[in-house]
Amino acid sequence: MRKNLIQQEEEENEINLTPMLDVVFIMLIFFIVTATFIKEAGITVDRPNALTPDEQGDAAILVAISPNDEIWIDRRLTPPAEVRTVLEKLRLENPKGSMVIQADEESTNEYLVIVMEAAKAAGIANVAIASEGN
Amino acid sequence: MRKHDFSFGQGQEEENEINLTPMLDVVFIMLIFFIVTASFIKEVGIDVNRPDAPTTQSTPEDSNILVQIRENDEVWIDRRLIDPRALRANIERLHAENPEGSVVIQANPKSSNKMLVTVMDSARQAGVYNVSIASN
Repeated sequence: MRKNLIQQEEEENEINLTPMLDVVFIMLIFFIVTATFIKEAGITVDRPNALTPDEQGDAAILVAISPNDEIWIDRRLTPPAEVRTVLEKLRLENPKGSMVIQADEESTNEYLVIVMEAAKAAGIANVAIASEGN
Repeated sequence: MRKHDFSFGQGQEEENEINLTPMLDVVFIMLIFFIVTASFIKEVGIDVNRPDAPTTQSTPEDSNILVQIRENDEVWIDRRLIDPRALRANIERLHAENPEGSVVIQANPKSSNKMLVTVMDSARQAGVYNVSIASN
């Protein structure tokens, strides 16, 4: 009788981990699925203001153009001639993602057009120019 | 004898139970890794020439609203210098005359990105969402 009571108490003291494990697995799957691994540009730019921006949900590649017209992709300074090759390589990793050009207010449009033409040549369908949200 | 039998059965039961702790450790580490690497970047911007209308390509050149940005960031439409604040009204008027046309921006290589986005934003405010940038 006494032994039975001790055994019962022991069983009650053991925590049932199954529900917690379920929750943890669901969180794990959620984070694996939502992880998109965006290629960040590596520099911060002063974006121009706009009143009608759209949220770029599927942005996978970010290209930054600094005020002195340097092109930054994937945390590296990229010469204009190599932009296309780099973009082609990044597109292979995420073919459905779109591209956002983070061009500084003071950067000239010459380099913007160079990046856009490189994106077109690399086969990136959706290109947007980053702006400050309202 | 009966007592002995009972304790033997209990021991087997304990051995049959799988120890979940190491798996839980691994799962937690994976969970933390994915939480840390998840980059919730909310990028906002203006789409350039989003191909939402298949007829866009066949639009004749002359029916587009042509906006020129000069080297010194002056905006010219129809050979007239336009103040950036009056851009929206001008594009609205041209869009009313020609609802099918999209806005084509001819930007000088030395013009600034700020003026380009201002023109694109004005076009979108005027209701023209099809904006493309002409390359020379």
